[in-house]
Formats: sequence, C-alpha cells, structure tokens
Amino acid sequence: MTLLRTRGLTAGYGPVTVLHGLDLEVAEGEIVVILGANGAGKTTTMRAISGTIPRAGSVEFEGHDVHKSAPDAIVRAGIAQVPQGRGTFPELSVEDNLKVGAFVRRDGGGKIGADALRWFEVFPRLAERRSQRAGSLSGGEQQMLAIARALMSRPKLLLCDEPSMGLAPLITQELFQVLERLNKEEGLSVLLVEQNANLAMHMADRVYLLETGRIVASGSAAELSADDSIRKAYLGF
Amino acid sequence: MKSLFTIKSGGAASWAMRLAVAAVLAALMLWVPTRGSDSLIEVCTTAFTLMAAALSLNLLLGYAGQISLGHSAFFGIGTYTTAVMVTRWGWSPFHTLPVAFVLAFVVGVLVSLPALRIKGVYLALVTLALGMVFPQFIKWKKLSWLTGGAKGINDTGFKFTKDNPTYEIFGWNPWGNLRGQNVKPFYFWVGAIIVLVVYLICRGVVKSRVGRSLVAIRDNSTAAAVMGVNLPVTKGIVFGLSAAMCALPGSLSAIRTGTVTADTQLLTVAGSITFLVIMVVGGAGSLWGPIIGAAVYQFIIERTGGWTEPDAIPALFRPFFGWSKTAPGGGLFAIALILLMFVAPLGLVGLWRQHSVRLCRVVPKPAGTTTISVMAAAPAAVDETHTA
Repeated sequence: MTLLRTRGLTAGYGPVTVLHGLDLEVAEGEIVVILGANGAGKTTTMRAISGTIPRAGSVEFEGHDVHKSAPDAIVRAGIAQVPQGRGTFPELSVEDNLKVGAFVRRDGGGKIGADALRWFEVFPRLAERRSQRAGSLSGGEQQMLAIARALMSRPKLLLCDEPSMGLAPLITQELFQVLERLNKEEGLSVLLVEQNANLAMHMADRVYLLETGRIVASGSAAELSADDSIRKAYLGF
Repeated sequence: MKSLFTIKSGGAASWAMRLAVAAVLAALMLWVPTRGSDSLIEVCTTAFTLMAAALSLNLLLGYAGQISLGHSAFFGIGTYTTAVMVTRWGWSPFHTLPVAFVLAFVVGVLVSLPALRIKGVYLALVTLALGMVFPQFIKWKKLSWLTGGAKGINDTGFKFTKDNPTYEIFGWNPWGNLRGQNVKPFYFWVGAIIVLVVYLICRGVVKSRVGRSLVAIRDNSTAAAVMGVNLPVTKGIVFGLSAAMCALPGSLSAIRTGTVTADTQLLTVAGSITFLVIMVVGGAGSLWGPIIGAAVYQFIIERTGGWTEPDAIPALFRPFFGWSKTAPGGGLFAIALILLMFVAPLGLVGLWRQHSVRLCRVVPKPAGTTTISVMAAAPAAVDETHTA
C-alpha cells in the first residue's frame, strides 16, 4: 500500500523554484533512496514533505492530503525527519533530546521512557552519555541521537537527510544497518537522501535519481545499476 | 579537575547543603523586615522588583532565545494598569495585579506576531521600538484624561489609616505597622511574594515538556519544528507569559511609590537595558541567574549611591571616581559586565558552576537505573553484501 505519494510537488526559497513537480511514492515497509548531486533539490524535497518550507502540489500520506498541514500536524500524522547536519539540541541532555522527539505524543511519561530505553539499547553509546549535553557528543553519536530522537515520535515514515554527512564510513555503515533492521523488523518505511550512492543502493528497495529539481530516473536499485549510461552519469561506479 | 569533596545528588550531604542554603535564605528573609533598617528594606524591595522583571525576561531570552528590548513597556503596562484602576476607578491595588497580568499577556502575544517572522537583531529592533514608543504613548495628549499625560498620576498606592489592623507574632511585626507608620516591611513581603510567584511560574515552565521545547527552539528552531513543536503558538505564549510576569513588578512599583510618571527610569528603554544586563550578569538560561544578578546590581548601586563628593568615596576608589559629580554605580556595573564577559560569559551562575567543582563535586544520580541489555550485538550482524 502506498504510504506517501506526492504529485507535482513544487517548492523553493523566495523567488527561486528548486523543485519542479516531483512525483514520488513510498510504499509501506519500503526503503526509498533519493540520489542526486549537490543542488539537485534532495534536501528541499525533504523540507517540502515535512512542511518546513512553502510548497505547491499534492502530498498524500496514508491517503490523506497533508500538503496544507503545518509541520507539527505532519509529525503527528506519522512522518518524522532527521534533519540535515543532525540538528540535535546542543544545550539539552541526550535524554532530553529524546523527550523533545516525543513532543507530539500524548501517551504519558511511562511509555515515552520505555521507548527511550529501547533506543538506548539500539544505540548503547547514547545510553552511556544519557545525562551529557548533546553538544558534547561526537558527530557519529549526534547522528545516532538525531535518528533515535526522530523515532521517539513513533513515525510510520522516517525522512533521513544525508545521515552519512561528515561521518566515518564504518559509523555510516553501522547507522544504515540499524535503519535496515528497523525496516525489516518493524516495517518502518524510510525515505533516505544520500550522496553515497554505492552504500545507499544496497539497502534501497527503489531509487529516485534527482537532477536540478526533476526526477530523471527511477526504479529498483538493480535496474538502475544495470543501466550503463545512468550508472556512469550519476552513480559513479 | 580534583574536588575537595564529592557528594551524591539526592544523598544525605546534598540534602544537608540544600537545607543549609534554605535556612540562610529564610533567616535573611525574616531578619531584614524585622531587624533591618528602613533603607535596607527599601533596597531589598527594589531588588525584588528587578529580580521579577529580569526573571520574566530570562524565560523569553535565556530559555526561548527570543530577544526583547521592550520589557520596560510591559513593566510600564503593569504600572499604569494599577495606577489608572486605583485612582480612576477606585480598585483595591491588589485586585489590579491579575488585570495587569492579563493585559500584558495580550499585548505580549500581539508583539510576538512580528517575532514569528524575524529573529536576532531585527527582533531586537522591533521590541526596542516598543520600548521607545511606550513612554510617548503614555504622554500622548489625547490619552491624558486616562494616563495623566506627562504629569503622571498621584496616590496610586494603598491608603493606610489608623483603622488598619496590625499583626504581631511574639512581639515581632514582620509585615510592618500597617497603621500608616511603617509600611515598608509590608511592601517587602509583597515584592518577595511576586518574585516567588514569577520564579515558580518560570520553574514550572522550564522543567516541563514545554521548557524543553523552548530550549529546542533556541538551539535549533528548524529541528524543533520537525519534532512537532508548534513554533508560532509556543513563541506567542512564551512572549505573552514573559510580558505578563514583567507587569507584576511594574504594578508593585506603582503601589509602593504612590506616584507614577512615564519618565521613570524603569519605564523607558533604560529599564529594558537594566533588566537585560541584570539577567546577563547573573546568568542567562538559569533560574537563579536573574535573582543573583539583581541582588548584585542593587548592592552596587546602593553602596555607591553616596559617591557624589570625592570625600565620600573610599580611598581605594577615590582616584578613579573622584572627578565625577554623579554616583558611579551604573558605570561600575558596566565595568563589571565587561569583565564578566571575559571571565564568565555565562554570568555569575556560570562562574559558580565552573569553579565550585574544585570545592565540591555533586555526582548526578547514576544514569540508566534500568538494566540495559544490548540488543543482540546489533552491529555485528553485518550483511557482507552491504560492504561491497
């Protein structure tokens, strides 16, 4: 079943239009990767879906039109975002960062605490630094925190904006494995923006190739890497 | 860093320390209004006024990161609401406090509307405009039937007469003699209660889910938005609440002094700056910062208030301030501010946090009281194809 569907999604900053009508789909339980060069509009796509920038066109989530919803309504509908460059709250403790992630939840402290413990199990390094300021964590730990924080809202769809940015390859792999495991075990759908085509394509169910705000190719990872011209022009392997 | 003592948070030693601090504070609070001199009581009441105003600004700026140079206007709204209602409509002064609170809240929310779109320097300018317009607005001729124009309003406080009751415990009279003879301790307590109320509101907000979302907005407003924090509503409410709390000490100043004019220092932009500086010196983003800042500020102003003649200045300071005909309190405080920015950018509270560790370290409660079983060695389950 389709979870997220955009039709003619257009967005930009002030007078500049960055996205020129994207038709994207994410099915339930899918990992979809958006690949593209710098300036292709990957991050703008994320922001347009999460409602943090003005947009036009339709965005449907679970069959409901959300393109006019405010960012908090979109989080409540079940879309969580890991913003680009992590975006942790440096002055709050690791634990409080997670609590802010559960901001929209109304189901009481006990369940929220249990969820926090659960992500501490998945990311043991965060557990060790539980009462430390988030600003004192390393880049990798902050990225783990950003992902755990987004998951605290119990989303159905996780938007991940370049989680590999500035991280060592091993940490990136570790993070991707966690995402994949969540996808397999819990059926979490993931829409992932990546520069690291090689790594991302291995876990992707489907891939969109973005160039200057338009989708230039889409299909399964195998299909795209089988096409020589696409592989050479965009994927670089 | 080595500490002389190490104690556990929540342990006996930590509680003993808290109790000791509370006991000292309680003793001071009882000693000043009963045994302290009249001028000391006055100084403390003024300090309470500044504390409440700086606390309210701290919630907005220190926690939510929204600057305001217009808090003197909210302070003034409190002052004038009380003054007008008491003199024109015969309200009892205390009954005007909730009205001032609500009125300032509404104005605060209205002012927050531009704050939703702008931040930093631009927000400072918009709120500065508010602070500058307020005294002019009060002095506007067409409003003088209400505000008294440039002349201000008289008799805005309590009327104490021989009929007022007076209360004593064991020969003590901690709230003063309310028969119009010595009412200073009474205002001391009103001020203390206002500070307590404002402090408790701030504490309640800061330690809650909303408080975390305020810091989140300050640290990274985009990330806060994608966590589902409603930025417009949160900013609007915190702006309103901060304004409303600032109106309370404003009302107190009208009740206490009995006269209000639009040119009183705290009602002009100078007042906004005073609140800001007190908050920064004490420690922005900490609950005790503004309280300590206001106490220190008022202490310096008071101690140097008589330094208008060279002979009145202690020998140590005479070479520096002997040439001036005005009291150097403000200047001294400015120098203290500049020095503090070098040694303690987080204010006096920051300085204390940084250096108290050498004397005594408080170990937080052990994190993770629940056993954490690492999920079946997650990172080890590497699918080899992924590393290709």
